[in-house]
Amino acid sequence: MNDSLLTYLPLMAKAAGTSIWLSWLGLLLGIVVGAGIALLRRSQIVPLRWLALIYTEFWRSIPILIVMFFAYYGAPLLLGFDLSPFTAATLALALHASASMAEIIRAALASVGRGQWEAAQAAGMSGWQVMRYVAAPQALRVALPPSIGVFITTLKESSLASVIGYIELTKTGLLVRDATGGGLAPLLALGAFYFLLNYAISLAGLAAERRFHVGRRQDLVGAMT
Amino acid sequence: MQYSFTLRTIYPYLGELQSAAWLTLSLSVLAIVLSIALGTVVAVMRRSPRRLLRFAGAAYVEVMRNTPLLVILYIVYFGGPSIGLRLRSYDAALIGLTLNAAGYMAEIIRAGLIAVPTGQFEAASSQGFTTMQSFRHVVFPQVFRTIYAPLGNQVIAVILASSLASVIAVDEVASWMETVGSTSFRFFETFVVAAVVYLVLCQAVNLARVLIGRMLFRTAAVR
Repeated sequence: MNDSLLTYLPLMAKAAGTSIWLSWLGLLLGIVVGAGIALLRRSQIVPLRWLALIYTEFWRSIPILIVMFFAYYGAPLLLGFDLSPFTAATLALALHASASMAEIIRAALASVGRGQWEAAQAAGMSGWQVMRYVAAPQALRVALPPSIGVFITTLKESSLASVIGYIELTKTGLLVRDATGGGLAPLLALGAFYFLLNYAISLAGLAAERRFHVGRRQDLVGAMT
Repeated sequence: MQYSFTLRTIYPYLGELQSAAWLTLSLSVLAIVLSIALGTVVAVMRRSPRRLLRFAGAAYVEVMRNTPLLVILYIVYFGGPSIGLRLRSYDAALIGLTLNAAGYMAEIIRAGLIAVPTGQFEAASSQGFTTMQSFRHVVFPQVFRTIYAPLGNQVIAVILASSLASVIAVDEVASWMETVGSTSFRFFETFVVAAVVYLVLCQAVNLARVLIGRMLFRTAAVR
């Protein structure tokens, strides 16, 4: 590692912050949408259940890269106004994360036994109250470890925002590589940044697992990117 | 703004789509086969009695699972030449994809190996099986059963991940979508077509997995 690369490391650390912010935002939106889809999957109305299933299967079966391309180049054609690379990337990450989160939340809700719902209802709780005080707290324990896996996946996927011109960690790494005259070192530094971030998140996840005494980190389909 | 969805506008590009789809397929299939081989080596390393090998195996898995594939591809393709490794973009994509996927495959295979107790091996050798025989007739069938479902998921993940090869100039499906989209300004149509290609590939793998699983295991438990 040469001197000039060292001088750029603070810049990369700042860009790492940008990447985390982008993926955090994508994850949060993904959780909100995913929770909605998970509720649809439990709906009494069959077509709604089908729609929710098609939604999850669709986003889980197409690569994040083409979602990114579409959000940036295609969506403006439909909307009639341009999206900034940041908005497009957040949208793409959120859509992809929402499918995984829907599956996780659905499985977590399903892990709360029927008897719990019936007992709570028998005790006079309304549907919302059962969800709020009985089902959700238990489902949260189950959903936490795999959600950490989704966060890691989203952070890795956020590297693709560089392809549509958003200057996050990967793009910064490439720019630093140009500025320092090419070579392998800046790219290895870039990889090290991602590794340390994700490894830290995964260790935090392990601590949470131990705290809640539940499952393991699971990387769902699409996790590779 | 009015945008009319007309698939006819991208008819002229469908020939290129065919070769793009073949590239996606060949890249994925090769990467899957190679990563299963490499992943098996890493999984066996992680169960080695030597600490150093165990550590190396674990480190490999953690690094691969926590680094974005895009960065690995950049390291292989852009970083390679500075250590004297000049690769065609297809080869670089294949190497990057294989290295990355092997990290996940290793974990799947390791879980399969853990599921078979050592007693099984000992019982088989006490029955006069050679190491090869006990692996072939006792251990492997059980390992395969355990890893079958997650392996199917990983195959799909590799197909989806192969789209990143477009970033280092491999003309596969994602690259087709970007080039045709930006020359014809028909991003909606190209997106739909590219999405359908991936959907069909992934759902075909899914269907094959379920059907073959039913045939092999004759039970609904493993699917």
